[in-house]
Amino acid sequence: MNAESSDQQLSELLATWPADSTPLSVDVDHVNHFYGVGEMRKQVLFDNVLKIRPGEIVIMTGPSGSGKTTLLTLIGTLRSVQEGSLKVLGQELLGISATATTELRKRIGFIFQAHNLFASLTAFQNVRMATELLGIPDEKANPRIEATLKRLGLGARIHYRPKALSGGQKQRVAVARGLIHEPGLILADEPTAALDAESGREVVTIFQELAKEQQCTIVIVTHDNRILDVADRIVSMVDGRIVSNVLIRRNTLLSQFLTQLDLFKVLNTTILSKIADKFDLRKFATGSEIIKQGDAGTEFFVIGAGNVAIEIDGRQVNTLGHGSFFGEVALIRDQPRNATVRALTPVSCFVLEKDDFQSVIQSSSSFEEELRKAIFTRQ
Amino acid sequence: MSETVTSTSERAIPAQPGLLLRLNLATTTIRNARSFREIGPIIPMMKIPLAWKNLTYDPRRLLVSVSGIAFAVVLMFQQRGFQHALFDSTVEIVRELDCDLVLLRPTRFALSVETRFDRNLLDVVASQRGVVSAEPLYVENLGARLRRENQKARPIRVLAFNLDRSLLLDRNGEFAPQLRLLERPATALMDRLSRSDYGFEFGSPSSFPQTGELNGRELQIVGSFTSGRDFAHTGNLIMSEANFANYFAQRGSSPLQQVDLGLVKVKPSDDLEEIQQRLIATIGNDVSVLTKAELIEREIALWDRSTPIGVIFTVGTLMGFVVGVIICYQVLATAIADHLSEFATLKAMGYSDGYFVRLTIQQSVYLAGLGFLPGAILSWLLFQFNASFTALPMAMTFDRLMVVLLATLAMCIISGILALRKLFAADPASLF
Repeated sequence: MNAESSDQQLSELLATWPADSTPLSVDVDHVNHFYGVGEMRKQVLFDNVLKIRPGEIVIMTGPSGSGKTTLLTLIGTLRSVQEGSLKVLGQELLGISATATTELRKRIGFIFQAHNLFASLTAFQNVRMATELLGIPDEKANPRIEATLKRLGLGARIHYRPKALSGGQKQRVAVARGLIHEPGLILADEPTAALDAESGREVVTIFQELAKEQQCTIVIVTHDNRILDVADRIVSMVDGRIVSNVLIRRNTLLSQFLTQLDLFKVLNTTILSKIADKFDLRKFATGSEIIKQGDAGTEFFVIGAGNVAIEIDGRQVNTLGHGSFFGEVALIRDQPRNATVRALTPVSCFVLEKDDFQSVIQSSSSFEEELRKAIFTRQ
Repeated sequence: MSETVTSTSERAIPAQPGLLLRLNLATTTIRNARSFREIGPIIPMMKIPLAWKNLTYDPRRLLVSVSGIAFAVVLMFQQRGFQHALFDSTVEIVRELDCDLVLLRPTRFALSVETRFDRNLLDVVASQRGVVSAEPLYVENLGARLRRENQKARPIRVLAFNLDRSLLLDRNGEFAPQLRLLERPATALMDRLSRSDYGFEFGSPSSFPQTGELNGRELQIVGSFTSGRDFAHTGNLIMSEANFANYFAQRGSSPLQQVDLGLVKVKPSDDLEEIQQRLIATIGNDVSVLTKAELIEREIALWDRSTPIGVIFTVGTLMGFVVGVIICYQVLATAIADHLSEFATLKAMGYSDGYFVRLTIQQSVYLAGLGFLPGAILSWLLFQFNASFTALPMAMTFDRLMVVLLATLAMCIISGILALRKLFAADPASLF
């Protein structure tokens, strides 16, 4: 792995790491859902919690009947929320009015497994059904529709009816219809199932662009392993419960960053990705105190970007930069901070809580050894 | 895994500066769709005519649908046509009379009822201000039997008037050249639309005279005219007063003293209603004074209400209507059922129920229009055929066209509303 690409990845990691204050695109909060009534009533979703930020690409997986489709229809306002709270693009869905539902739906893009195109309309007209609804004027909508269809490899077939299109082409028209109005949220059910590798890739590339450029949130239910790599988050469900919810892309990038550091090199991939999930990103302005001598130590820091000064009793003893870590001594020895760390430039740090840090030490003796070596060298 | 991630992100990132979504738009304008929504309504757009497109997509299905509606239209036209024809036929003779007001006994509740009044009354009427003329019309229904050689004698209606005062509008220009022929004794003109059972031929002018027997006395049919039959009358004869008096001795010693109808013409410049009121005041309750239109209306109302005819044909028309509703519902409901997931997708996209109502009503109206046109043309042809076959006046007037057109529209819209329920049932949650 060359240095340039790892820098690039690091900067992507730092840029895309969401601040805690960012409003959520989708906020599923303790949602339960039931099918049927009376004695036939059966719970299909159990206490689902899922928070998705703008621009995230989420892939939902799970066996059939696991409730992922139900959750998707709830998020998409296609089913009424029964219990709990569900906010989509800032709108609470519990008890939402019909009018508000219709309005909200216009801000969501749906891509269904079946293309559901009108046989009587051309590819272009089918896509235009979406822009017409929003009242996007023709002179804006038409070129955009054409460009999108061209991009999806339908340039020569823009004015063909679905009958004259192959299964994959129809699905691509449906994809274009789902994203042409640049919705804030796209919900897609197996969008690439009917597509060959190339057009499937094109679709997810468009998804990525939308996510990046428009901060569009994309939730995909899929079993297509070929597109797993685009996911920022992978949510997997079993029997109506969210059994894992991993920020996969962030963790991958973070793991790759950590692997380059001597301290973390010794960890195997499994442990590394497990702890990557626990890291938090924190940013500090120039001059601010990151930790203060004498305080109780609760966190471990890895510098992603910027430089810090180590000060003992008000005297600067050392400076640390990109890739260095600090804060471990207090955690290992269970002592107060032995030094103050101050940001010399704007600093971004990856932060691990004490408990998580200690569990890493316990899980890998070579990590502990490496850590001691590092502390020793520093002293 | 990690290798894949690297390679795609490397590939994806440089590709960003923008092929697709930036291509045609300034990023600032597309940042949110809401800005479009604000611009939207100001700029008029040609919306995609989904209703029309869906309706016409499959020409075979459209043809079947349209045929179905057209069939219902024809049914309604036929029923209404016959109803009107039967009513029209009873008043056809009144329409042909050249007069403004008609005098008749109040007890003559139908034209075919034979109650009469004294001829002297007409002289009184004729002397009134504003009255140009008051002429007697003699009608014999029950007492007239016409027979041709080797045929049975059949009842026929005989009309008679003073040949010097033509009482007929003569719209076809048939009477003027022939009236002179009636001056000869034992002559009459016969309605060419009389039933063929009488045995007379109306093929060409050269086929006259033909000899027959009226009430046992010889009668020469010297020509023909065109009027038509109705429920009560299977044929018509027209003759002079003098000949009439000869044939109908049963009307008494002076057969022309008792008048069936009195036909009054008024000065065109005068107010018809005022004269009518004055005449009513003058002659009292013995004889009614009706305008031609009133008489026509009264006669039709009588047949419509006091006979089952009105009910029969109304039921027939309703049947056509109901058949139409069923056919149209089938067409629309199938159209919806076939596109249920597409409509559900539209719902998911944010199309409101109102849109679907408009869509379905639009389709209903299109179907009504498409079905009405061939239906009306076919009906018109059938009317021509019926008219020539039954000698009933099958007229397709503007009013009658409009009534059936409105019924067709109502029929399709009712079906549309029924079919809408199916559309509302389209559940977008079932799409995932």
